[in-house]
Amino acid sequence: MASPLDIDRRWIFLAMGLVVVVMYALGETETIPVSEYVQSYFDEIESLPEGSIVMLSADFDPASAAEIEPMYIATIHHLLRHNLRVINVATWPAAPPFTQKYFSEIAPQYGKVYGVDWVELGYTPGDDVAMGLIGQSLKSTYSTDDRNHSPLRDIPLLADVSDSFRGISLLVSASAGYPGILEWIAQVGGRYQVPVICGTTAVQTTALFAYYPNQLKGFLGAFTGATQYLQLVGEATEAVHEERDEDQRRMLVQSWSHLLIIGLIAFGNVAYFLGRRRATR
Amino acid sequence: MIPLLLQTSAGATAPAWFSLDTAATPDILGGWIVCFLTLAVFSFLYRDNPFYKLAEHLFVGVGAAWYTLENYETGILGPVREYIIQAHDKLAANEQLLAGADAVTGLQLVDLGGFQVQPGLAIALRCVALLFSVMLLVRLFSRDSWAPRWPLAAMVGIYAAIKMTGETQSKLVIQIKETMVPLISPSAVPWTDGVRFENSIGFSLLSNLVFLVGLICVLSHFIFTYRRNRLLGGMSRLGIVVLMLTFGSMFGFTVLGRIALLIDRVADLASYAQPAYSLGAADAAVGWTGLFASLLSPPVLVGMLMIVLLAVWATGQRNQQARAGESG
Repeated sequence: MASPLDIDRRWIFLAMGLVVVVMYALGETETIPVSEYVQSYFDEIESLPEGSIVMLSADFDPASAAEIEPMYIATIHHLLRHNLRVINVATWPAAPPFTQKYFSEIAPQYGKVYGVDWVELGYTPGDDVAMGLIGQSLKSTYSTDDRNHSPLRDIPLLADVSDSFRGISLLVSASAGYPGILEWIAQVGGRYQVPVICGTTAVQTTALFAYYPNQLKGFLGAFTGATQYLQLVGEATEAVHEERDEDQRRMLVQSWSHLLIIGLIAFGNVAYFLGRRRATR
Repeated sequence: MIPLLLQTSAGATAPAWFSLDTAATPDILGGWIVCFLTLAVFSFLYRDNPFYKLAEHLFVGVGAAWYTLENYETGILGPVREYIIQAHDKLAANEQLLAGADAVTGLQLVDLGGFQVQPGLAIALRCVALLFSVMLLVRLFSRDSWAPRWPLAAMVGIYAAIKMTGETQSKLVIQIKETMVPLISPSAVPWTDGVRFENSIGFSLLSNLVFLVGLICVLSHFIFTYRRNRLLGGMSRLGIVVLMLTFGSMFGFTVLGRIALLIDRVADLASYAQPAYSLGAADAAVGWTGLFASLLSPPVLVGMLMIVLLAVWATGQRNQQARAGESG
């Protein structure tokens, strides 16, 4: 008699697919409690005086956009609603099209002016070395901005920024791996004593607990962190309500998928021990 | 039922058949391509097949082209061509100033790594960097040449120095400092009404003890120079348990991330299951609505066609193998 453990793994794929599709289709949402790490991320931005300059680094690509996109969009809303000025950079080559799209959509909602309230400097190659250079001298790392290709001296926002990260009050990284938040902490955070916060993918989250709260003031761990953050930002920003509801809907799907995995692990173990008992008889 | 349930509310504006505007509603043609490629990649879960191969090759090709262009623009055009042209213009302006008067002020300088230098020096240093880049390429023609070793040695040295200074501090010195914490956190308070348990003295003591014991046991697992007696062996085994818990946590987070990607794909497919993207909704006069319009939407139609074609392809493969078996 065939053991239940001999099941074709494609049945498991099918079961997972069905759970995700059906639960998503039902459209229920779920509010989740906010963790300390997410609250700290939110508070770090809230604590900045209006007009402060924040560097927002896009360290992700399309493969990780599903996890990073919600937190990145929410962060832009939060920064601009709080009247902070944003310098947008990227250390991954595929990130700039995303960031340009988000800023083009969100900035006009808050009446923000390009060059005065936010600037896009785009991608720079070199990974850690590039991060070190950005920290050392932003103006010598980039010769022009990414949107209009204007010299940096013609951009009003950058007049308040000088070498060694002076003028920048906070570094926010949307990090999906290498180079990302760990390199920013090493090359800029510790070196220039700048507070650093980040949103990151699930895979990278476990590595970040060791950096909190001294080297990393707060972080959004994976999709769960993004949903919690959207709940906080959504309290004062109606523009993110659609995104928040969508994420809360996905969180319920996530919970059911995890239940299925737990069930499969239990099933596999029970089947294994029953099979072993039968074999010894 | 599922196609109907998956329909989300229509976007603010109707999608165009074809549009390159990134701020506009995703176009219909793009919607069909997105659905086809998503389902083509998912078809690998059945088995390796031509649809998956096509999507895979397309992804690799587009990715390579994008990365090449982006790196060319930001790594060569900006720092070499534009930089040298700007520095040359300043050099020419300075020469004109120098030629026109005895005592000259207002000479233009160029920024080099945060320092203001003469344009001539900046061009010379940038040319040295360019020469190093060309020397790296010599390896393409002669594998044993000395030329690529110089820039490679410089790169290794510089990279090691940059990594060492930053990472020693953040990943070693501060991490060691972080382990030296008081057993009871100064911010902890007695557990009374209104105080959350995780802020209490008891919880602080317990969590710091777990941390301390876990740290010592994991470190003792990596002591290989002494014989494992009962004490060291026991601590090492406890260290393994702590490590396993860590790996379990990492695996759990990885599952969380992968499921999030799956949900995002399903959500994306659902957004293209709207009537606006359906072939059925294209002609309102025919009156195709509801379920029929959903069946003609990109995810459903592409999915069904793909299943049929995969079935035909798999049958052909099986027949071919059977014939090969008979003749063999």
